[in-house]
Order: sequence, then C-alpha cells, then structure tokens
Amino acid sequence: MSHLGDRLSALVDGELDGAELDRVHAHLASCEQCRTEAAELRALKKKLRALMTGAPAEAAMTRRLIAMTGPGGPMPPRRRLLRVVPGHRPATGPEPGRPHAETRRPRAARHRRYLVLGTVSLVVGLGTAAFTVGGGGEAAPGPRITPSMEMYSVEHAITTGGVPFPGPPASSGPDSEASAP
Amino acid sequence: MFTLTCPVSRPARDHGAHHHGRDGRSPLLLAAALVVAVPGFLVAACSGQAGSSAAQNDAIAARAATGGKVPVARRRPDTLLAVRLLAQAAQAAIVTSYQGEEVVTRWSQSTGGSVLVSDIWHVSGGQTVTQTLDAGASSSSQPYRSSDDDGQAPEGVLGVTVPLVQLLETHYVVAYAGAGSAGDRTAQVVEAWRADGSLAARFWLDDATKLPLEREVYDTAARVISRDVFINVRFAKPGSAPAGTGASADPQGPWTDPFSQAQLLALRARGWLVPAQLPGGLSLFTGAETEASTGTVLDLGYSDGLSVISVFEQRGQLPASLAGWRKTTVAGHPIFVAEPDQRSLTWSGRGMVYTVVADAPTQTVDAVVGALPHDKPPGFWKRMTRGMVRLASWVNPFR
Repeated sequence: MSHLGDRLSALVDGELDGAELDRVHAHLASCEQCRTEAAELRALKKKLRALMTGAPAEAAMTRRLIAMTGPGGPMPPRRRLLRVVPGHRPATGPEPGRPHAETRRPRAARHRRYLVLGTVSLVVGLGTAAFTVGGGGEAAPGPRITPSMEMYSVEHAITTGGVPFPGPPASSGPDSEASAP
Repeated sequence: MFTLTCPVSRPARDHGAHHHGRDGRSPLLLAAALVVAVPGFLVAACSGQAGSSAAQNDAIAARAATGGKVPVARRRPDTLLAVRLLAQAAQAAIVTSYQGEEVVTRWSQSTGGSVLVSDIWHVSGGQTVTQTLDAGASSSSQPYRSSDDDGQAPEGVLGVTVPLVQLLETHYVVAYAGAGSAGDRTAQVVEAWRADGSLAARFWLDDATKLPLEREVYDTAARVISRDVFINVRFAKPGSAPAGTGASADPQGPWTDPFSQAQLLALRARGWLVPAQLPGGLSLFTGAETEASTGTVLDLGYSDGLSVISVFEQRGQLPASLAGWRKTTVAGHPIFVAEPDQRSLTWSGRGMVYTVVADAPTQTVDAVVGALPHDKPPGFWKRMTRGMVRLASWVNPFR
C-alpha cells in the first residue's frame, strides 16, 4: 500500500504543483515502495494511452476477425450429439453447403477462445486498475482549505480566557488559506 | 511563547496541601445536598442550556439524595461565598490593570507534558495584549491584542470569564475552600466538584484583587491534567496602561462579536451544523464568524465551565496532506492532529472542514470528534466507479 495515498494518482496525473509536488518528490526519493508504485501507475497509464493511439491497427485486426464470421462466410460448425446406433455408421464426408466444416472448426474455436480470454483479461485488468486508483479521499467539490491555526488559536484563547498556543506553520502552497481580510 | 514537550512530572492531588480550611464543612448530608442542587437546577432551567444541563443537575440532586459518596453537604455553607468569589474574579480580570506571565502546563497520557509561557498585559476597561516569549517557528509568536470596549468579549485570566463561571456553577458544585497562597501572594481558594464527588478543579484567587492566580484541573482519577499559573503579577492603577501594550497585532479582529443564543440557532437555517450540546456535558455558549478568502469560517464554543472546545467550520475540503499535521485515527475516523500541541484536530466531512481546538480531557475530545460528521470510506462500487472515471480521464485525448 502506498504511503502517498491518492497523491500518487495525482502525481501521475500531473495534478500536483508547488510545495505539494516538492513534498511528494522528497518522499519518493526516500521510499522505494512508492517509487515502484508510481512507476507501475505510469506504465498502466502509458498502456492505456497506447491502446487509444494504436486503435487503427487494432481496428484492422477486428475487421479481419469479423470477416471470418460475417455474412457470406461459412457458419462455424454446430456441435451435434451423435447418437450411436449399433450397426448404423454415421455418414462421413462434407455435408452439402458446408464443404470444409472440419477444417474450419479448430481455427474458429481457437479465435473464440482468444476473444473470451482477451475479454476476461481486459475486464479483470480494468477492474483491478479502477479499484486501485479509485481509493483515497473523496474528490468532492469545494475549495481546498488549510486551517488557519493562528487565527483559530487566538479566537480559542479569547473564548477560553487563556493564551494562544503554537500551532503548525502556515502552509505556503496553493491550497493555503489566505488570512482573513 | 516558550513551549516544549517534556516528561513533566504530574503532581498528585493533595487536598490538604493548600491550607484550605476545609474543617468547617458541615456533616448535614442530605438536606444540605438538596439545598445545593436545587439552585443549580433552577439556574440551568433559566439559562437557555436547558437540555442536558438540567438533566445533569437533576442527576446531581438525585445522587446527593441517595446518600452516595457526593460530599456536597460538606460544601454547602461555602457555596454562596465561592459563587461570589468567582464572579468577582471574572470581573477582576476585566476591570483590573495588571501584567504578568502565564505558565500553562498540560498533561496527557499520549503526549506527556507540555509547558507554554506567555506574557500578558491588561488595561482596565478591556484591552489585553498577550505575547509569547519564544515561539521559534510557531504561528503564534506575534503578540495579539484583544479589545473589549463594548464589554462583549469574554475576557479573563486562567479560564475565569463571566460565561465560563456561569457554566461552571451550572455543571459543577463550587465551594469555598479557605485561604491559601499562590507564589508570594495570599489567596482565596475555590473548588469545583463533580456530581460523583470527585474534585474537578481548584482556583486560587488573589486575596486583594480577586484576580485568578492559579488553576488546577483534575481528571476523574484525581490526576492533575492541567495547571495554569499567573506569576510575577504586577498591578497598575485603573486607567494607566501597563508597559508593553504598544506593539501588538490584531489577528482576531475580523471575527464578529459573539452571537446571541437566537443568532446561534439561526445559523442552522443557513446550513451550518450547530449542535446545542456535545458529548462530555459541553454546552454551546458562544459563537462568531469571519470571512476568509476561501469563505466564511464559523466558530462555535462549547464548555462545561472547565473544559472548552472550539469547533471551527468552513465549507470545502482538506488537501491530501497538511504540513505540520499528522494523520491519525480518533474514534474510528481518520483525522489530522496538529503538531506539536496535539490540541487541534481537523478533518473533512460532508463538504465541510471541521477543526476542533480543545482544552479538555482526551476522552472528551475523542467523544466530540466521534459525534461530528465524517465521510464514510467509499464502498466497493463507489470506489470502482471513481476509478473508472479516473482511468477514462487518463485516456481522454481531449483532456
């Protein structure tokens, strides 16, 4: 599990900048596990993009596959259960209209098997990838707020009749909340 | 401000160490307990804090009547004097001109002890300047000034303000404990007791001015959890400004004046979460708002007179990480806790950022955090959907 959570996805997406980007880079410099996960995410993203850019070549393959089973071509042979009757020998040789059924059957079955395997692999791979990158915090709308602890601390001190206390340093990143007017 | 975290030894509670003169307490248990509890109940019923405050005082009365271990009866003769002394102390914090150093020590099981030292100057009539002595990179190194020209700001010393004293008398049984001393000054000692008969706090009020000089707060196991001491105190004549009040910042300036109870309730109609009560018997007693660059910030103050929790609300989301904060889990919810004070906690929930600043026992803070809204972790299908959307955005050539 990454130490960076959804910031890893944000880094791969190029959504980080400023101090946040520096912090993530600093962590990556010292954490091999996160470096590995970042590299894997980048590779996944690259492959997905390649799928889109390589679409024409894939389309040609798809056309060929459709042509093999499309209208005008021979239908794949239907598997039949043969009843074996003693003394009766089933007819052999090509049926009328299906001259090469026995020779086409293994190739079509093989293609269908590849299609099923490819589809299953794609679904499992996409599902795993979606589950992985879908974790982390909710990307809900609204401004990113960094609590202004100096202001809060003083207000709390007035409420309690006490003194303000030191809090975390104010962030200088783009998410930082500007001081009140 | 000088602050450090260190293994400060936690002193044990010593009932007889401060010459409190508790020998004069009456042994008339049952009748006296009722006499003490009933006024508390009436105060709660009339103060607008009706719900749990009334119930709590009812519980006080019930426990006292059953002859439990509540030593209320022994405090009865001293209660009226204690109430008067606390009221005088709250007023003294406003009308007296003084300066000194406040040393705030906190103990907690998770972080050990922490000490914070701050200089305070106060001018009679309303202006207070607080300056930290050494803060390094802390955010509150600059002096701040609070003005109370209209008398609405709850100013005070060591947590003794007018609103907090009223809450203290509602939620606890206060009792005069005799004369004592704080530093080199003679003092009057006032104690606050819980319904279960345990000592909750002890105040040392300056004999001459009634200004609070020291306060100790105890947990239910009789351990000191905080000690605030006002040392090197010097008093000035009314109207004369103590030295050091010149240079000051005013970061709390944008906050509005404290809301009335009606205004606090009206905030709900504007979509704010405004609970009347929080766990630990904390009642909503004040509130204010300010406009920041990222939107309106609402501050709600909850207290039982000793513990105070400020809940800050702002619409939006927290970033994925916060510098100076660390992720932790409280009451089963992932949140950020501020370093180094450990008194500030923040998280996002349902489109709102909640920041809690607490002067309260750890278990009370945990219960409060658990009672406020949090985002649930995404379910399987929600997570898959979110991941699909993100993957689609990666292969979108028009992005």
